[in-house]
Amino acid sequence: MSAVLKPKPKAIVCDGNEAAAWAVSLARVDMVAVYPITPQSSLVEYLAKFVADGKLNAEIVDVEGEHSVLSVLHGGALAGARTYTGTCGPGLAFMFEPYLRTPGLRMPMVMSIVTRDTLTPQSVWGGHQDAMSVREVGWIQLYCETVQEVLDTTIMAYKVTEHRDVMLPVNVCHDGNYLSYGAARVELPSQEEVDAFLPPPSVNWHAALDPSRPMAVDPLTGGSGGPGPAMFVRYRKGQCSGMQHALAAIEAAHEDWARIVGRRHAPLVESYRMDDAEVALVTLGSMTGAGKDAVDEARSRGVRVGLVKVKTYRPFPVQAIAKALSGVKAVGVVDRSVSFGWNSGPLYQDVIGALQIAARRPAAMSFIGGLAGADITTDHFGRVIERVQALTQDGQVGETVWLNERD
Amino acid sequence: MGAYNTISFKPEHCNGCNACMTACATAKTGSADIANSRIQIVADGDAFELAMCRQCGDPKCVSNCPAAALDKDAGNGVIDWDGSKCVNCLLCTVGCAYGGIVYNAAAGHVVKCDTCDGDPACVKACERGALKYLTTAHIYNEVGDLEDLFVPGLAGCQGCNTELIMRHAMRRIGPDTVLATPPGCIPGMGSVGYNGLTGTKVPVFHPLLTNTASMLTGIKRHYKRQGREVNAVALAGDGGASDVGFQSLSGAAERGEQILFICVDNEGYMNTGMQRSSCTPFGAWTSTTPVGERGAGKTQDAKNLPVIMMMHNCEYVATASTAFMEDLYDKLDKAIAASKRGFAYLHIYSPCTTGWRFPSQENIEVARKAVEANFVLLWEFNPRDGLQLTRDVDQPLSIADYLKALGKYRHLSEDQVAHIQATVEKNVSFIKGLAEGRHPAMAQAMSGRA
Repeated sequence: MSAVLKPKPKAIVCDGNEAAAWAVSLARVDMVAVYPITPQSSLVEYLAKFVADGKLNAEIVDVEGEHSVLSVLHGGALAGARTYTGTCGPGLAFMFEPYLRTPGLRMPMVMSIVTRDTLTPQSVWGGHQDAMSVREVGWIQLYCETVQEVLDTTIMAYKVTEHRDVMLPVNVCHDGNYLSYGAARVELPSQEEVDAFLPPPSVNWHAALDPSRPMAVDPLTGGSGGPGPAMFVRYRKGQCSGMQHALAAIEAAHEDWARIVGRRHAPLVESYRMDDAEVALVTLGSMTGAGKDAVDEARSRGVRVGLVKVKTYRPFPVQAIAKALSGVKAVGVVDRSVSFGWNSGPLYQDVIGALQIAARRPAAMSFIGGLAGADITTDHFGRVIERVQALTQDGQVGETVWLNERD
Repeated sequence: MGAYNTISFKPEHCNGCNACMTACATAKTGSADIANSRIQIVADGDAFELAMCRQCGDPKCVSNCPAAALDKDAGNGVIDWDGSKCVNCLLCTVGCAYGGIVYNAAAGHVVKCDTCDGDPACVKACERGALKYLTTAHIYNEVGDLEDLFVPGLAGCQGCNTELIMRHAMRRIGPDTVLATPPGCIPGMGSVGYNGLTGTKVPVFHPLLTNTASMLTGIKRHYKRQGREVNAVALAGDGGASDVGFQSLSGAAERGEQILFICVDNEGYMNTGMQRSSCTPFGAWTSTTPVGERGAGKTQDAKNLPVIMMMHNCEYVATASTAFMEDLYDKLDKAIAASKRGFAYLHIYSPCTTGWRFPSQENIEVARKAVEANFVLLWEFNPRDGLQLTRDVDQPLSIADYLKALGKYRHLSEDQVAHIQATVEKNVSFIKGLAEGRHPAMAQAMSGRA
């Protein structure tokens, strides 16, 4: 019997925005740049308060807009700083120019997207449309289900982003309203545990703005030949390769976290009651809780239904999804955003793409719910399960179903 | 060998009044007889030429002298004549091509200019500014040995003023610097590099056109946090500063970030093909304010960016011109020092031979005319002393002469010239008012950080 007693973890009650701020403090971030936007505002308020209270030993830069938020962090990172910020919706749209540049610079960084539906119609409410609109820009995107997962994932994200084989920025997405303001019991890891998990910052070994090792950062590529398009192509290929390496880095980070802190989250996808499932729901973010409840309820009636939660959305875990869904007959993918070009949800597109390599290709239908802060309830999920069950009978993949159309 | 101060002569400003000769003769002999003057203005038709010692670097008078009576003083560059050694052979006068050392019958020996120990009487007597005593030599002596932090052979246009500004500024700022050069002529000529090569010897990067001051903020803050003294410097065009980059510039200035932001104002987007910016003056042709049946150049006045920056109550704000290098270097030094305390903004006017359409060899003259016509005003500001003009604005040259020198104004109507003239006068009155504290509300607004 071990003589060493593990100290009892410190538990607090907080919302997702405060949980993210705690994670930033524990990750010993050097620099945060802040600008408020609903529903992220309380997050930057917590950061400012933590700095003022001495809980967070970071340089805080209060800038005049999101474009500068990310630009300040670009400068900080190129000088070697571990950096953090958070934004959403219109703020994310405004920072798009430097946002686009961040992965190209192979710049490690963590930014929360406190997801919000995009304009217009005017809306300050939750939805994944903001994060989804930037899904193909080159950032890693991790979606959280719970407040605890927000805290843990934000710390783990630093291990992923600064991994030498990855060197790509990470968005930790947590749902506006539901996770940003929803309070829950959260276990705070100790600083010692986080220090054991997370090595010191390793940010600008590859590209730096430092007079002690002068270099030109991001010069113009040439017009032709070796230093031109060919270099550009190799660079792009390297970015994609970094994204693929991220899958393993995310799994390793979750494994390390479980080993040191004792809490295990599924790194890429989580399979819930999938063992003998005939139909499956696929979910993203905080809706998953209601989805699991609906699965439990249906199971109690003998329906063989399970749920697959996507945690890592970019890079898309194609193999893991295909594996998780290859045993079912039909799949219902519930999106909290819209793919305008496909008249479906974007996750649905990704899932049916991944199923192309599945051993057995189940039929799949797209469901869209939770836009502009609408609640996706167990009843909604019940309807989804019913519709997907019908799919196993008739194989008729119908039009996309809009869940909150008549709520 | 160092550089020396010197007397310059601009014949186009001379009217042959002889005041310089009278002053020299009086200073050197006590009589006003211009025959005894060491400076001689010689009429040549309608024009005038100067016969005077040039204090040559390789003086033939000295090498011709068999008695070692002439010697160039290494300290001030003046060629001294020693009467105790002179044998009156006059071989020196044969060596001089400038009529700078001549036999003077009244004195009984050769005489020459000794620059009155650095305070020449002739210059003080010249009311038309044809004679000037140039004291810029100290700049060369102070910075000439400092390393040029750009590589040779940047691909600027022939006669580019901006390249001069870049080289002068960075030489002075020094190597412990991170340099931001947002898209424009400055990186366009190769400072950030191309084909895998860099054009700068300090860390350099392309910010976005929009975020120069913000990226520098992050860099500077992190080095400060680490206790490292690193200069955060921008060399940005007027478009990147006054238009799309203005928000981040304003934000950094408001926060008092310790940044030196140099705006190189060539009055438009010259690198991308000479499009209009908000710093483009009224009436100017650009590729987006073309001249045609209906178009007659830009229809709005230029945004006065340095004044706007001053209203941020920056640690230091100044305007400068490469035609006035002592003034420019003085401001550069102050701006560098101020950037250790807060935000320093330097607005340097940079005539663009390609975009403004004038011959490349006239660049500095165009810059000079802009200042002399009050089109460009030279001033500086700090929160303690407020705004000060650093050059007199009371006797401007004609604005029409300045405009005529530039192809981009070739189409101007009389009304347009009158508008520009009025704008210049309004601006002079406004800036003078600020300098003299005639705008109490603004003076109050600028008086120290609350």
